[in-house]
Amino acid sequence: MVQLFHVSKIYPPHNPALADIHLQIDKREFVFLNGPSGAGKTTLLKLLFCAEEATEGQIIVNGRNITRLNGRGVARLRQEIGLVFQEFKLLPYMTALENVALAAEVVGTPRRESRRKAFHLLRELGLKDQHDARPIALSGGEQQRVAIARALVNDPILILADEPTGNLDAEMADETLRLFLKVCEKGTTVVIATHDAALLKRFHQRVIFLQQGRLMGDTGLQRAEAHA
Amino acid sequence: MKLAKPSFVLRRVFKSLRELLWTHILTSGTMAMTLFIFGGFFLLQQNLHGLLRGWGGQLQIFVYLDEGQASRNLQSVLQQVRSYPEVESVRFVSKEEAWQDFKQALGAQAGLLEGLEVEILPSSLEVILKRAHRNRASMESLAQRLRKVEGISEVEYPEEWMERLSLLVLGVQWAKWVFGAFLFAATLLIVANTVKLALLARKDEVEIMQLVGATEGLIKAPFVIEGMIQGVVAASLSILLLWLLFLLLRAQLPSQFGVFIPQEQFRFLDLNGISLLLFLGWMMGACGSLFSFRRFVQRWER
Repeated sequence: MVQLFHVSKIYPPHNPALADIHLQIDKREFVFLNGPSGAGKTTLLKLLFCAEEATEGQIIVNGRNITRLNGRGVARLRQEIGLVFQEFKLLPYMTALENVALAAEVVGTPRRESRRKAFHLLRELGLKDQHDARPIALSGGEQQRVAIARALVNDPILILADEPTGNLDAEMADETLRLFLKVCEKGTTVVIATHDAALLKRFHQRVIFLQQGRLMGDTGLQRAEAHA
Repeated sequence: MKLAKPSFVLRRVFKSLRELLWTHILTSGTMAMTLFIFGGFFLLQQNLHGLLRGWGGQLQIFVYLDEGQASRNLQSVLQQVRSYPEVESVRFVSKEEAWQDFKQALGAQAGLLEGLEVEILPSSLEVILKRAHRNRASMESLAQRLRKVEGISEVEYPEEWMERLSLLVLGVQWAKWVFGAFLFAATLLIVANTVKLALLARKDEVEIMQLVGATEGLIKAPFVIEGMIQGVVAASLSILLLWLLFLLLRAQLPSQFGVFIPQEQFRFLDLNGISLLLFLGWMMGACGSLFSFRRFVQRWER
Protein backbone atom coordinates (compact mmCIF):
# COMPACT_ATOMS: atom_id res chain seq x y z
CA MET A 1 0.00 0.00 0.00
CA VAL A 2 2.75 2.45 1.01
CA GLN A 3 6.39 2.31 -0.02
CA LEU A 4 9.12 4.82 0.76
CA PHE A 5 12.46 4.57 -1.04
CA HIS A 6 15.32 6.52 0.59
CA VAL A 7 13.07 9.45 1.39
CA SER A 8 14.56 12.60 2.92
CA LYS A 9 12.96 15.88 3.83
CA ILE A 10 15.01 19.00 4.53
CA TYR A 11 13.21 22.22 5.48
CA PRO A 12 14.89 25.39 4.29
CA PRO A 13 17.52 26.50 4.89
CA HIS A 14 19.15 23.32 6.27
CA ASN A 15 16.83 21.65 8.79
CA PRO A 16 16.61 17.93 8.14
CA ALA A 17 13.28 16.43 9.28
CA LEU A 18 13.64 12.98 7.72
CA ALA A 19 16.76 11.21 6.49
CA ASP A 20 16.91 8.23 4.16
CA ILE A 21 13.65 6.56 5.21
CA HIS A 22 13.08 3.22 3.55
CA LEU A 23 9.97 1.27 4.49
CA GLN A 24 6.95 -0.62 3.28
CA ILE A 25 3.41 -0.86 4.69
CA ASP A 26 1.16 -3.54 3.28
CA LYS A 27 -2.55 -3.43 2.52
CA ARG A 28 -4.83 -3.88 5.58
CA GLU A 29 -1.89 -3.33 7.90
CA PHE A 30 -2.19 -1.39 11.17
CA VAL A 31 0.96 0.58 11.91
CA PHE A 32 2.06 2.90 14.69
CA LEU A 33 4.60 5.60 13.88
CA ASN A 34 6.28 6.23 17.19
CA GLY A 35 8.99 8.54 18.45
CA PRO A 36 9.53 11.63 20.58
CA SER A 37 8.46 15.11 19.53
CA GLY A 38 10.46 16.30 16.53
CA ALA A 39 11.24 12.75 15.42
CA GLY A 40 9.60 13.33 12.03
CA LYS A 41 6.29 11.44 12.52
CA THR A 42 4.10 14.32 11.37
CA THR A 43 6.44 15.14 8.48
CA LEU A 44 6.24 11.53 7.32
CA LEU A 45 2.43 11.63 7.39
CA LYS A 46 2.45 14.98 5.57
CA LEU A 47 4.57 13.45 2.83
CA LEU A 48 2.00 10.67 2.46
CA PHE A 49 -0.91 13.07 1.85
CA CYS A 50 1.22 15.54 -0.12
CA ALA A 51 1.10 18.42 2.34
CA GLU A 52 4.87 18.41 1.99
CA GLU A 53 7.17 17.42 -0.83
CA ALA A 54 10.07 15.01 -0.31
CA THR A 55 13.49 16.54 -0.88
CA GLU A 56 14.83 13.18 -2.03
CA GLY A 57 13.51 9.69 -2.69
CA GLN A 58 10.31 8.21 -4.07
CA ILE A 59 6.97 7.52 -2.38
CA ILE A 60 4.45 5.06 -3.75
CA VAL A 61 0.88 5.04 -2.43
CA ASN A 62 -1.53 2.43 -3.77
CA GLY A 63 0.76 1.82 -6.74
CA ARG A 64 1.09 5.49 -7.66
CA ASN A 65 4.25 7.56 -7.34
CA ILE A 66 3.10 10.63 -5.42
CA THR A 67 6.43 12.44 -5.29
CA ARG A 68 5.64 14.83 -8.12
CA LEU A 69 1.85 15.11 -8.28
CA ASN A 70 0.16 18.22 -9.64
CA GLY A 71 -2.75 19.95 -7.84
CA ARG A 72 -5.40 17.72 -9.41
CA GLY A 73 -3.35 14.61 -8.64
CA VAL A 74 -3.00 15.67 -5.00
CA ALA A 75 -6.78 16.21 -4.75
CA ARG A 76 -7.43 12.77 -6.26
CA LEU A 77 -4.98 11.12 -3.84
CA ARG A 78 -6.58 12.81 -0.84
CA GLN A 79 -10.00 11.58 -1.95
CA GLU A 80 -8.65 8.05 -1.35
CA ILE A 81 -7.14 8.86 2.04
CA GLY A 82 -8.89 9.56 5.34
CA LEU A 83 -7.14 12.06 7.61
CA VAL A 84 -7.55 12.39 11.37
CA PHE A 85 -5.82 15.04 13.47
CA GLN A 86 -5.15 15.59 17.14
CA GLU A 87 -7.09 18.88 17.10
CA PHE A 88 -10.01 17.22 15.22
CA LYS A 89 -10.27 20.08 12.65
CA LEU A 90 -14.08 20.22 12.77
CA LEU A 91 -15.92 23.31 11.57
CA PRO A 92 -17.52 24.90 14.64
CA TYR A 93 -20.52 26.38 12.79
CA MET A 94 -21.52 23.07 11.25
CA THR A 95 -23.29 20.20 12.95
CA ALA A 96 -21.61 16.81 13.33
CA LEU A 97 -23.63 15.55 10.37
CA GLU A 98 -22.71 18.53 8.18
CA ASN A 99 -19.02 18.17 9.06
CA VAL A 100 -19.04 14.56 7.89
CA ALA A 101 -21.25 15.17 4.84
CA LEU A 102 -18.99 18.02 3.64
CA ALA A 103 -16.18 15.55 2.90
CA ALA A 104 -18.53 13.42 0.81
CA GLU A 105 -19.97 16.38 -1.10
CA VAL A 106 -16.49 17.65 -1.94
CA VAL A 107 -15.77 14.50 -3.94
CA GLY A 108 -19.06 14.84 -5.84
CA THR A 109 -21.52 12.76 -3.83
CA PRO A 110 -25.01 14.32 -4.08
CA ARG A 111 -26.15 16.16 -0.95
CA ARG A 112 -28.90 13.74 0.06
CA GLU A 113 -26.62 10.73 -0.39
CA SER A 114 -23.81 12.47 1.53
CA ARG A 115 -26.09 13.18 4.46
CA ARG A 116 -27.41 9.64 4.43
CA LYS A 117 -23.87 8.20 4.50
CA ALA A 118 -22.83 10.64 7.22
CA PHE A 119 -25.84 9.76 9.36
CA HIS A 120 -25.21 6.05 8.93
CA LEU A 121 -21.54 6.41 9.95
CA LEU A 122 -22.30 8.57 12.99
CA ARG A 123 -24.84 6.01 14.13
CA GLU A 124 -22.25 3.24 13.70
CA LEU A 125 -19.78 5.22 15.80
CA GLY A 126 -22.31 5.70 18.58
CA LEU A 127 -23.24 9.31 17.79
CA LYS A 128 -26.79 8.74 16.61
CA ASP A 129 -28.24 11.26 19.03
CA GLN A 130 -25.52 13.85 18.51
CA HIS A 131 -25.68 14.21 14.74
CA ASP A 132 -27.36 17.61 15.03
CA ALA A 133 -24.97 18.90 17.69
CA ARG A 134 -22.23 21.39 16.93
CA PRO A 135 -18.67 20.36 17.93
CA ILE A 136 -18.62 22.68 20.94
CA ALA A 137 -21.47 20.66 22.48
CA LEU A 138 -19.54 17.38 22.12
CA SER A 139 -16.87 15.85 24.37
CA GLY A 140 -13.30 15.38 23.08
CA GLY A 141 -13.94 11.70 22.38
CA GLU A 142 -17.15 12.46 20.54
CA GLN A 143 -15.45 15.13 18.46
CA GLN A 144 -12.72 12.68 17.55
CA ARG A 145 -15.35 10.13 16.50
CA VAL A 146 -16.95 12.76 14.26
CA ALA A 147 -13.51 13.39 12.75
CA ILE A 148 -13.08 9.63 12.21
CA ALA A 149 -16.51 9.44 10.59
CA ARG A 150 -15.45 12.24 8.26
CA ALA A 151 -12.26 10.32 7.41
CA LEU A 152 -14.29 7.20 6.63
CA VAL A 153 -17.16 8.73 4.67
CA ASN A 154 -15.46 8.35 1.29
CA ASP A 155 -14.46 4.71 1.94
CA PRO A 156 -10.71 5.40 2.01
CA ILE A 157 -8.05 2.80 1.24
CA LEU A 158 -5.71 4.40 3.77
CA ILE A 159 -6.25 6.21 7.06
CA LEU A 160 -3.54 8.56 8.32
CA ALA A 161 -4.00 9.76 11.88
CA ASP A 162 -1.69 12.25 13.57
CA GLU A 163 -1.80 11.92 17.37
CA PRO A 164 -5.52 11.06 17.28
CA THR A 165 -5.56 10.31 21.00
CA GLY A 166 -3.47 13.30 22.07
CA ASN A 167 -6.45 15.18 23.48
CA LEU A 168 -8.26 12.18 24.97
CA ASP A 169 -8.06 10.39 28.32
CA ALA A 170 -6.76 6.81 28.43
CA GLU A 171 -10.21 5.20 28.31
CA MET A 172 -11.32 7.34 25.38
CA ALA A 173 -7.96 6.80 23.66
CA ASP A 174 -8.42 3.03 23.86
CA GLU A 175 -11.94 3.28 22.53
CA THR A 176 -10.72 5.39 19.61
CA LEU A 177 -7.97 2.92 18.80
CA ARG A 178 -10.40 0.00 18.92
CA LEU A 179 -12.41 1.92 16.35
CA PHE A 180 -9.36 2.22 14.09
CA LEU A 181 -8.70 -1.50 14.51
CA LYS A 182 -12.25 -2.25 13.43
CA VAL A 183 -11.75 -0.07 10.36
CA CYS A 184 -8.52 -1.91 9.62
CA GLU A 185 -10.25 -5.28 9.92
CA LYS A 186 -12.70 -4.16 7.26
CA GLY A 187 -9.80 -3.73 4.83
CA THR A 188 -8.40 -0.22 5.28
CA THR A 189 -4.71 0.36 5.93
CA VAL A 190 -4.23 2.46 9.07
CA VAL A 191 -1.14 4.49 9.98
CA ILE A 192 -1.21 6.24 13.34
CA ALA A 193 1.46 8.65 14.54
CA THR A 194 1.73 8.72 18.32
CA HIS A 195 4.34 9.54 20.95
CA ASP A 196 2.37 7.60 23.60
CA ALA A 197 4.45 4.48 24.40
CA ALA A 198 1.80 3.16 26.82
CA LEU A 199 -0.66 2.93 23.96
CA LEU A 200 1.74 0.70 22.01
CA LYS A 201 1.93 -1.68 24.95
CA ARG A 202 -1.84 -2.02 25.16
CA PHE A 203 -2.26 -2.59 21.41
CA HIS A 204 0.19 -5.08 19.99
CA GLN A 205 0.62 -3.83 16.46
CA ARG A 206 3.54 -3.06 14.19
CA VAL A 207 5.57 -0.08 15.41
CA ILE A 208 7.91 2.00 13.27
CA PHE A 209 10.19 3.96 15.55
CA LEU A 210 11.64 7.30 14.42
CA GLN A 211 14.22 9.47 16.13
CA GLN A 212 15.70 12.72 14.83
CA GLY A 213 14.30 11.97 11.41
CA ARG A 214 15.83 8.53 11.15
CA LEU A 215 14.18 5.13 11.15
CA MET A 216 15.53 3.53 14.34
CA GLY A 217 13.36 0.42 14.56
CA ASP A 218 10.55 -1.50 12.93
CA THR A 219 8.84 -4.35 14.82
CA GLY A 220 7.37 -5.54 11.55
CA LEU A 221 10.84 -5.95 10.12
CA GLN A 222 12.06 -7.67 13.28
CA ARG A 223 9.14 -10.06 13.15
CA ALA A 224 9.80 -10.78 9.50
CA GLU A 225 13.48 -11.42 10.24
CA ALA A 226 12.57 -13.68 13.18
CA HIS A 227 10.24 -15.66 10.92
CA ALA A 228 12.98 -15.97 8.34
CA MET B 1 -22.14 12.22 -9.39
CA LYS B 2 -21.16 14.99 -11.78
CA LEU B 3 -24.28 17.04 -11.12
CA ALA B 4 -23.63 17.22 -7.40
CA LYS B 5 -20.76 19.71 -7.73
CA PRO B 6 -22.59 22.62 -9.45
CA SER B 7 -25.32 22.48 -6.83
CA PHE B 8 -22.65 22.27 -4.09
CA VAL B 9 -20.92 25.36 -5.53
CA LEU B 10 -24.20 27.31 -5.83
CA ARG B 11 -25.19 26.46 -2.27
CA ARG B 12 -21.85 27.78 -1.06
CA VAL B 13 -22.29 30.96 -3.11
CA PHE B 14 -25.72 31.69 -1.62
CA LYS B 15 -24.49 30.82 1.85
CA SER B 16 -21.65 33.31 1.54
CA LEU B 17 -23.93 36.00 0.06
CA ARG B 18 -26.23 35.54 3.04
CA GLU B 19 -23.54 35.38 5.72
CA LEU B 20 -21.34 38.20 4.40
CA LEU B 21 -24.19 40.30 3.03
CA TRP B 22 -22.88 43.70 4.19
CA THR B 23 -19.38 43.06 2.91
CA HIS B 24 -20.83 42.15 -0.47
CA ILE B 25 -23.12 45.20 -0.48
CA LEU B 26 -20.19 47.53 0.31
CA THR B 27 -18.04 46.02 -2.43
CA SER B 28 -20.85 46.21 -4.98
CA GLY B 29 -21.46 49.84 -3.96
CA THR B 30 -17.80 50.74 -4.50
CA MET B 31 -17.75 49.00 -7.85
CA ALA B 32 -21.01 50.72 -8.80
CA MET B 33 -19.46 54.15 -8.10
CA THR B 34 -16.49 53.37 -10.35
CA LEU B 35 -18.72 52.12 -13.12
CA PHE B 36 -21.01 55.12 -12.64
CA ILE B 37 -18.12 57.57 -13.19
CA PHE B 38 -16.88 55.63 -16.19
CA GLY B 39 -20.41 55.33 -17.55
CA GLY B 40 -20.90 59.09 -17.01
CA PHE B 41 -17.93 59.88 -19.22
CA PHE B 42 -19.17 57.38 -21.74
CA LEU B 43 -22.61 58.97 -21.77
CA LEU B 44 -21.15 62.47 -22.11
CA GLN B 45 -18.91 61.42 -24.97
CA GLN B 46 -21.77 59.67 -26.75
CA ASN B 47 -24.04 62.72 -26.47
CA LEU B 48 -21.37 65.20 -27.55
CA HIS B 49 -20.74 62.99 -30.55
CA GLY B 50 -24.46 63.03 -31.25
CA LEU B 51 -24.60 66.80 -30.96
CA LEU B 52 -21.60 67.21 -33.22
CA ARG B 53 -23.19 64.94 -35.80
CA GLY B 54 -26.54 66.75 -35.49
CA TRP B 55 -25.04 70.20 -35.72
CA GLY B 56 -22.78 69.01 -38.51
CA GLY B 57 -25.91 68.80 -40.68
CA GLN B 58 -26.49 72.46 -40.07
CA LEU B 59 -22.91 73.47 -40.78
CA GLN B 60 -22.74 75.54 -43.91
CA ILE B 61 -20.31 77.58 -45.90
CA PHE B 62 -21.64 81.09 -46.52
CA VAL B 63 -20.60 82.43 -49.89
CA TYR B 64 -21.23 86.19 -50.43
CA LEU B 65 -21.61 87.28 -54.00
CA ASP B 66 -20.02 90.21 -55.80
CA GLU B 67 -22.96 92.50 -56.60
CA GLY B 68 -22.08 93.44 -60.15
CA GLN B 69 -20.73 90.09 -61.33
CA ALA B 70 -23.37 87.94 -59.59
CA SER B 71 -26.34 89.58 -61.23
CA ARG B 72 -24.80 88.84 -64.59
CA ASN B 73 -23.33 85.35 -63.97
CA LEU B 74 -25.48 83.87 -61.17
CA GLN B 75 -26.28 80.69 -63.07
CA SER B 76 -22.65 80.03 -63.96
CA VAL B 77 -21.51 80.67 -60.33
CA LEU B 78 -24.21 78.29 -59.04
CA GLN B 79 -23.22 75.67 -61.59
CA GLN B 80 -19.56 75.90 -60.65
CA VAL B 81 -20.23 75.67 -56.91
CA ARG B 82 -22.49 72.65 -57.41
CA SER B 83 -19.81 70.93 -59.47
CA TYR B 84 -17.45 70.49 -56.47
CA PRO B 85 -17.58 66.86 -55.22
CA GLU B 86 -17.89 67.90 -51.53
CA VAL B 87 -21.08 69.88 -52.12
CA GLU B 88 -24.42 68.32 -51.22
CA SER B 89 -26.70 71.27 -51.95
CA VAL B 90 -26.60 74.99 -52.67
CA ARG B 91 -29.30 77.52 -51.82
CA PHE B 92 -29.38 81.00 -53.25
CA VAL B 93 -30.39 83.65 -50.70
CA SER B 94 -31.43 86.91 -52.35
CA LYS B 95 -31.05 90.32 -50.69
CA GLU B 96 -34.78 90.28 -49.91
CA GLU B 97 -34.67 86.83 -48.34
CA ALA B 98 -31.58 87.79 -46.31
CA TRP B 99 -33.44 90.90 -45.10
CA GLN B 100 -36.46 88.83 -44.03
CA ASP B 101 -34.26 86.23 -42.28
CA PHE B 102 -32.39 88.99 -40.45
CA LYS B 103 -35.61 90.65 -39.33
CA GLN B 104 -36.93 87.33 -38.10
CA ALA B 105 -33.76 86.63 -36.16
CA LEU B 106 -33.93 90.04 -34.46
CA GLY B 107 -37.51 89.35 -33.40
CA ALA B 108 -38.72 92.09 -31.02
CA GLN B 109 -35.70 94.24 -31.87
CA ALA B 110 -36.58 94.29 -35.58
CA GLY B 111 -37.45 97.97 -35.19
CA LEU B 112 -33.71 98.71 -35.23
CA LEU B 113 -33.75 98.08 -38.97
CA GLU B 114 -36.11 100.95 -39.64
CA GLY B 115 -34.63 103.48 -41.99
CA LEU B 116 -32.22 100.96 -43.50
CA GLU B 117 -32.52 99.59 -46.99
CA VAL B 118 -32.72 96.03 -48.21
CA GLU B 119 -29.69 96.75 -50.41
CA ILE B 120 -27.21 96.82 -47.50
CA LEU B 121 -27.26 93.02 -47.22
CA PRO B 122 -25.46 91.06 -49.92
CA SER B 123 -27.03 88.15 -51.74
CA SER B 124 -25.38 84.87 -50.83
CA LEU B 125 -25.18 81.12 -51.33
CA GLU B 126 -25.62 78.64 -48.47
CA VAL B 127 -23.47 75.62 -49.29
CA ILE B 128 -24.15 72.37 -47.41
CA LEU B 129 -21.41 69.71 -47.56
CA LYS B 130 -21.84 65.99 -47.93
CA ARG B 131 -21.69 64.15 -44.55
CA ALA B 132 -18.23 62.70 -45.20
CA HIS B 133 -16.81 66.20 -45.81
CA ARG B 134 -18.23 67.92 -42.74
CA ASN B 135 -14.83 68.51 -41.18
CA ARG B 136 -12.37 71.32 -40.92
CA ALA B 137 -9.95 70.16 -43.62
CA SER B 138 -12.67 69.72 -46.28
CA MET B 139 -14.30 73.04 -45.40
CA GLU B 140 -10.98 74.88 -45.58
CA SER B 141 -10.03 73.32 -48.89
CA LEU B 142 -13.40 74.07 -50.49
CA ALA B 143 -13.41 77.63 -49.11
CA GLN B 144 -10.02 78.26 -50.76
CA ARG B 145 -11.31 77.09 -54.14
CA LEU B 146 -14.54 79.08 -53.79
CA ARG B 147 -12.62 82.29 -53.07
CA LYS B 148 -11.02 82.01 -56.52
CA VAL B 149 -14.38 81.74 -58.33
CA GLU B 150 -15.29 84.83 -60.30
CA GLY B 151 -18.37 86.56 -58.82
CA ILE B 152 -17.66 85.52 -55.19
CA SER B 153 -16.49 88.27 -52.85
CA GLU B 154 -16.24 86.49 -49.50
CA VAL B 155 -16.41 83.01 -48.01
CA GLU B 156 -17.14 82.21 -44.32
CA TYR B 157 -17.45 79.01 -42.30
CA PRO B 158 -17.58 78.21 -38.53
CA GLU B 159 -14.02 76.94 -38.38
CA GLU B 160 -12.98 77.61 -34.77
CA TRP B 161 -16.26 76.47 -33.30
CA MET B 162 -16.06 73.13 -35.10
CA GLU B 163 -12.52 72.61 -33.94
CA ARG B 164 -13.35 73.31 -30.29
CA LEU B 165 -16.24 70.88 -30.22
CA SER B 166 -14.14 68.15 -31.81
CA LEU B 167 -11.41 68.75 -29.23
CA LEU B 168 -13.95 68.52 -26.42
CA VAL B 169 -15.19 65.16 -27.68
CA LEU B 170 -11.60 63.93 -27.93
CA GLY B 171 -10.86 65.21 -24.41
CA VAL B 172 -13.85 63.43 -22.94
CA GLN B 173 -12.89 60.25 -24.75
CA TRP B 174 -9.38 60.32 -23.28
CA ALA B 175 -10.56 61.33 -19.82
CA LYS B 176 -12.92 58.35 -19.88
CA TRP B 177 -10.06 55.88 -20.40
CA VAL B 178 -7.53 57.59 -18.12
CA PHE B 179 -9.96 58.02 -15.19
CA GLY B 180 -11.41 54.62 -15.98
CA ALA B 181 -8.01 52.91 -15.75
CA PHE B 182 -7.20 54.50 -12.37
CA LEU B 183 -10.62 53.73 -10.96
CA PHE B 184 -10.53 50.15 -12.22
CA ALA B 185 -7.15 49.53 -10.61
CA ALA B 186 -8.41 50.94 -7.31
CA THR B 187 -11.65 48.96 -7.46
CA LEU B 188 -9.84 45.77 -8.37
CA LEU B 189 -7.81 46.10 -5.17
CA ILE B 190 -10.98 46.69 -3.15
CA VAL B 191 -12.65 43.62 -4.64
CA ALA B 192 -9.50 41.56 -4.06
CA ASN B 193 -9.44 42.66 -0.42
CA THR B 194 -13.10 41.79 0.09
CA VAL B 195 -12.51 38.34 -1.31
CA LYS B 196 -9.48 38.04 0.96
CA LEU B 197 -11.74 38.83 3.92
CA ALA B 198 -14.22 36.21 2.75
CA LEU B 199 -11.37 33.72 2.35
CA LEU B 200 -10.02 34.50 5.81
CA ALA B 201 -13.51 34.09 7.26
CA ARG B 202 -13.66 30.64 5.67
CA LYS B 203 -9.99 29.73 5.99
CA ASP B 204 -10.68 26.62 8.10
CA GLU B 205 -13.39 25.44 5.77
CA VAL B 206 -11.18 25.87 2.72
CA GLU B 207 -8.30 24.10 4.48
CA ILE B 208 -10.51 21.15 5.41
CA MET B 209 -11.88 21.01 1.89
CA GLN B 210 -8.31 20.82 0.61
CA LEU B 211 -7.53 18.03 3.07
CA VAL B 212 -10.51 15.92 2.08
CA GLY B 213 -9.63 16.17 -1.61
CA ALA B 214 -11.42 19.17 -3.07
CA THR B 215 -9.87 20.34 -6.32
CA GLU B 216 -8.67 23.92 -6.65
CA GLY B 217 -11.51 24.58 -9.10
CA LEU B 218 -14.15 23.44 -6.63
CA ILE B 219 -12.76 25.71 -3.89
CA LYS B 220 -12.22 28.63 -6.27
CA ALA B 221 -15.55 28.52 -8.15
CA PRO B 222 -17.78 29.94 -5.36
CA PHE B 223 -15.46 32.92 -4.82
CA VAL B 224 -15.26 33.71 -8.54
CA ILE B 225 -19.04 33.41 -8.96
CA GLU B 226 -19.54 35.70 -5.95
CA GLY B 227 -17.21 38.24 -7.59
CA MET B 228 -19.13 38.00 -10.86
CA ILE B 229 -22.46 38.50 -9.10
CA GLN B 230 -21.06 41.52 -7.24
CA GLY B 231 -19.79 42.96 -10.53
CA VAL B 232 -23.06 42.50 -12.44
CA VAL B 233 -25.11 43.90 -9.53
CA ALA B 234 -22.73 46.89 -9.36
CA ALA B 235 -22.98 47.48 -13.12
CA SER B 236 -26.80 47.29 -13.01
CA LEU B 237 -26.85 49.76 -10.11
CA SER B 238 -24.55 52.16 -11.95
CA ILE B 239 -26.75 51.97 -15.07
CA LEU B 240 -29.81 52.76 -12.95
CA LEU B 241 -28.05 55.74 -11.34
CA LEU B 242 -26.88 56.97 -14.74
CA TRP B 243 -30.44 56.71 -16.05
CA LEU B 244 -31.77 58.82 -13.17
CA LEU B 245 -29.01 61.40 -13.65
CA PHE B 246 -29.69 61.42 -17.36
CA LEU B 247 -33.41 62.12 -16.85
CA LEU B 248 -32.56 64.96 -14.47
CA LEU B 249 -29.98 66.56 -16.74
CA ARG B 250 -32.06 66.20 -19.88
CA ALA B 251 -34.74 68.33 -18.29
CA GLN B 252 -32.35 70.88 -16.74
CA LEU B 253 -29.28 71.31 -18.92
CA PRO B 254 -30.53 73.09 -22.08
CA SER B 255 -32.22 75.88 -20.13
CA GLN B 256 -29.16 76.25 -17.87
CA PHE B 257 -26.91 76.83 -20.84
CA GLY B 258 -29.36 79.21 -22.44
CA VAL B 259 -29.27 77.37 -25.73
CA PHE B 260 -31.97 75.44 -27.38
CA ILE B 261 -31.18 71.78 -27.77
CA PRO B 262 -34.13 69.55 -28.54
CA GLN B 263 -34.72 66.95 -25.79
CA GLU B 264 -34.71 64.11 -28.30
CA GLN B 265 -31.14 65.10 -29.19
CA PHE B 266 -30.02 63.67 -25.81
CA ARG B 267 -29.70 59.93 -25.85
CA PHE B 268 -29.05 57.41 -23.06
CA LEU B 269 -26.41 54.71 -23.50
CA ASP B 270 -27.20 52.39 -26.38
CA LEU B 271 -27.23 48.60 -26.08
CA ASN B 272 -23.48 48.44 -26.74
CA GLY B 273 -22.76 50.92 -23.94
CA ILE B 274 -24.96 49.04 -21.46
CA SER B 275 -23.39 45.72 -22.45
CA LEU B 276 -19.91 47.23 -22.03
CA LEU B 277 -20.69 48.39 -18.47
CA LEU B 278 -22.18 45.00 -17.55
CA PHE B 279 -19.18 43.23 -19.05
CA LEU B 280 -16.71 45.48 -17.20
CA GLY B 281 -18.51 44.86 -13.89
CA TRP B 282 -18.56 41.14 -14.48
CA MET B 283 -14.88 41.10 -15.41
CA MET B 284 -13.79 43.29 -12.48
CA GLY B 285 -15.56 40.97 -10.04
CA ALA B 286 -14.09 37.81 -11.55
CA CYS B 287 -10.54 39.20 -11.85
CA GLY B 288 -10.56 40.62 -8.30
CA SER B 289 -11.58 37.22 -6.93
CA LEU B 290 -9.06 35.28 -8.97
CA PHE B 291 -6.25 37.68 -8.06
CA SER B 292 -6.97 37.38 -4.34
CA PHE B 293 -7.57 33.64 -4.43
CA ARG B 294 -4.26 32.93 -6.13
CA ARG B 295 -2.28 34.88 -3.56
CA PHE B 296 -4.16 33.31 -0.65
CA VAL B 297 -4.14 29.69 -1.71
CA GLN B 298 -0.43 29.69 -2.48
CA ARG B 299 0.21 29.84 1.27
CA TRP B 300 -1.22 26.38 1.81
CA GLU B 301 0.09 24.63 -1.20
CA ARG B 302 3.26 22.75 -0.60
